Amino acid sequence: MYIIIVGAGTVGYGLALELQALADHEVVLVERERARASELREELGEMIVHGDGTEVALLEHVGARRADVLIAVTGEDGVNLVACQVAKHWFHVERSIARVNNPRNERLFRLLGIDSTVSATAAILAQIEFDLPEHTLVPLMRLHGSGLELVDLHVLAGSLAAGRAVRDLPLPAETVISLVVDVAGTPRIPTADTVLAPGDEVIAVIRSEAEPELRALISGVPVDAGS
Amino acid sequence: MGCGRVGSTLASRLSHEGHDVTVIDNEPYAFRRLPTDFTGHKLVGSGVDDHVLEGAGLRQADAFLALTQGDNRNLLAAQMARHVFGVAVVVARVYDPFRGEIFAHLGLRTFSPTNIGADLAYDALFREAPAPTSSARE
Repeated sequence: MYIIIVGAGTVGYGLALELQALADHEVVLVERERARASELREELGEMIVHGDGTEVALLEHVGARRADVLIAVTGEDGVNLVACQVAKHWFHVERSIARVNNPRNERLFRLLGIDSTVSATAAILAQIEFDLPEHTLVPLMRLHGSGLELVDLHVLAGSLAAGRAVRDLPLPAETVISLVVDVAGTPRIPTADTVLAPGDEVIAVIRSEAEPELRALISGVPVDAGS
Repeated sequence: MGCGRVGSTLASRLSHEGHDVTVIDNEPYAFRRLPTDFTGHKLVGSGVDDHVLEGAGLRQADAFLALTQGDNRNLLAAQMARHVFGVAVVVARVYDPFRGEIFAHLGLRTFSPTNIGADLAYDALFREAPAPTSSARE
């Protein structure tokens, strides 16, 4: 695969090294700052290109037309979004991946056709939530292109879900409860008759927009009208 | 968004015409460019931050113009205005003419100071009559 990476900061640099180490990948790393590009030249040689990765002329120069993937990982969301959009709409690059610095921009990026988004803030936040004993819903991964995601739910005492059978839960459309792990750590595949107990950990596939509704269902806190 | 020379001149003009104008700039010093009789709102903040745009009342806005020096900043803000806030008319200043063309196809109104400047310079070069004053400056 031919991969273009925009932004040679810590993320882009590390990514370039990892991807190049994998077999059969050709990688070009584009860096806007001359000093940073020169600094990496000795180690990376031809792989590093100094220039603006959102500019049509530069992307043309590095052969964006034959690129399979463009990954934009600078610290600026505007740069990452535009680099991906230019790759997609001008050069018809098959797949674009953007780092999202402001997690609230993630939805916009997806709406605008960016194939994958990665948000360090959101990922760390999810990890922190996951580690908190009182966490309710933590997104684990998105299922590509379907609008579905895999989530971890934690059933709290006093919630609507606690003590109810799966069949009696007012679940949002297209929610599939895949796995229930009880407090003793025993996993089971639930049936319609499975009764959820406080402390149960539930792995489910849900539509992304159903997050607030499910969170309310398992935590007992009403849906926040604003979210 | 962007209270540079273009932004401040336009804001002042629209305000004089009776429009309700809010100018956003992350540098408070930029507002010095607005005339003293400017009656619109001034808001200090980043135009690519959705909270700032919300605070500027973008949901009620009829139009949004992104006029900073940064093409990508303008394009991000403009697309937020269009897709997150549902603003009907969105204009972005994009120096790179190719980039401008791409986003024009994606439904934004873009203009390129590069193309406009080159056209004006070309006209000035081959014109025989005395140069007009205000419009060709910039």
